[in-house]
Amino acid sequence: MSQATRAELRGQLQQAIGESTLCLDERRFGDWLERTTSEFHYRIQAYSHDIRKRMTWLEHDRAGMLALIELLPKHHINHADWLRHVVVYDVTQETQDSARVISSLAAFHTDVDVDDAHVQGGSSRLFAVGRYYDRWRLVDDSWLLADRTVFLHTRQLGLGSHVFP
Amino acid sequence: MVFSTRDWRQRLGGPSLPFVDSRIYTDAALFEEELNKIWRKTWLLVAHESELAEPLDFRTTSIANEPVILVRGEDRKVRAFLNVCPHRGALLLRQPAGNLQTENPSGSPKRITCMFHAWQFNARGECLSIPRRNAGYQDRLECAEASLHELSCEVGYGGFVWVHLDGNAPKLGDHVGAAFGDLAPHLQSEPLEVFHHHKAIVRTNYKLWHETNSEFYHDYMHHFNRVTSMQQPGYYDRRYTAFPGAHVTVSSMVVQYGAYEHEQLTIADSRDFSFPGLERNGWKLLDLFPGSTINLRGSAVRVDTVTPLAVDQTLIEFRGIGLRSDSAEVRARRIRDHNTIWGPFGRNLPEDLLGVTSQGLGMRRGAESLHVLQGRFEDSSIHDETGLRHYYAEWSRRIGRDAADPYGEKQRAIAEAEPALLLKRTGVRA
Repeated sequence: MSQATRAELRGQLQQAIGESTLCLDERRFGDWLERTTSEFHYRIQAYSHDIRKRMTWLEHDRAGMLALIELLPKHHINHADWLRHVVVYDVTQETQDSARVISSLAAFHTDVDVDDAHVQGGSSRLFAVGRYYDRWRLVDDSWLLADRTVFLHTRQLGLGSHVFP
Repeated sequence: MVFSTRDWRQRLGGPSLPFVDSRIYTDAALFEEELNKIWRKTWLLVAHESELAEPLDFRTTSIANEPVILVRGEDRKVRAFLNVCPHRGALLLRQPAGNLQTENPSGSPKRITCMFHAWQFNARGECLSIPRRNAGYQDRLECAEASLHELSCEVGYGGFVWVHLDGNAPKLGDHVGAAFGDLAPHLQSEPLEVFHHHKAIVRTNYKLWHETNSEFYHDYMHHFNRVTSMQQPGYYDRRYTAFPGAHVTVSSMVVQYGAYEHEQLTIADSRDFSFPGLERNGWKLLDLFPGSTINLRGSAVRVDTVTPLAVDQTLIEFRGIGLRSDSAEVRARRIRDHNTIWGPFGRNLPEDLLGVTSQGLGMRRGAESLHVLQGRFEDSSIHDETGLRHYYAEWSRRIGRDAADPYGEKQRAIAEAEPALLLKRTGVRA
């Protein structure tokens, strides 16, 4: 890929993040992983105002994320349709084939069997807000996610989740 | 066989198959009784001293609807006070944690200052300043009379901070007794430090959460526990030991973390270190009446504390704890191990919360009462429900009601039907 302008770069990464987010929302986790590099690293962090410490709640490399996804059917989860609303705030090109991206995240759940399905089913609620701190790498003309820190502002996540934001 | 709803819900249970009446989880008036007879009259584990590591560090919490401050004095002693200004009842400290030396808009450093009218107190709870005291109160009110309400507070058993709402409470040791004996070598040989805290408000009664921590029969719900423990040697050798005051311990087994497919695919059983004196991948547990659990598993400790908010709403706080001496590398691994199972995105904890939420929904307010079984007798081994029965013996003693018959209905029915049987069963003459 030839040297992209700043606007072109932003557009390319917005498109990559959008496609990656659609994969997650539609539970096409395999497709999501296809859009990551072999050295991909994922973590969920939050700052606790209670203990005044930054916490890491989930951390895996690519193999770990793959295992996590493959084992989902063996765990009980509260079923909900996820919708991740991601807005790209800042794109910083590091090298010709590497960029850092900061996005805001609001993850919504539309309940399937959370609480009483008869009463609650179909209602939507905010699961968490936070930010994605990403590093993307250009590999063979495709932007792939190399590193993601999901920094959550929300620290009360109800029952928690086996699915990741 | 066809049952009426009421008959169906009450068909199980009796002298040979112990149960509790589900209305103990759903009766709002009984819940208030519990707050008054149990939560206001018991030592409660509320924090860890590492959350108040420095002089003038503070934490805020609540017990039985009472807002509470924990503060470490300049003498390093941790004290507890009601978080209420004696002047007009405003909350004194609003942040979950902090240090009194941090500047704030209304106060001098090192003081607890009420933002409303700027009354000031030191970390011993002594009133230091009442603005324009003499002009307004003349000689009718002195600072010395306006101290904060101090609560009983002790630090112990691994640096945990305990509070009793009664300022003249019996000693903590009387409440805990020997229950910490099995965990003491692992938790008390060197200082501990909290590395994780998160909380969840769940729609269920607080006792149901403690019950989940007091029986392992529900391991059927956890794929992780089934493959790493239940299907492994030693699982059914684990034993409950009951202590006075309704505390219960569970003996250890060696967990086979490598049996979980995720571990095989990724970190391949990296839990090669533990806590002082604990066998590698050992797992011990202590349930403390009325709602705390200390779960020491492999390389990390999880501590649960519950705050009952309403009869069907419970705040649960989860803490993860390591050793203060941990290197950065060791700490990172403890955090990873802890959160793989117990974090908000962990393998087990969302399942546990799902389970008790479903109980809260199945036994909701207004539904017909249910006989909730506690009838597994397996020589106090891991699927025995002795922990539940032990808990409700103490609960019944403190509340003054039989958990199986909280309104005396069954006893009255027996009395009316068979006075001789009542006399035989209970010693009560009709």
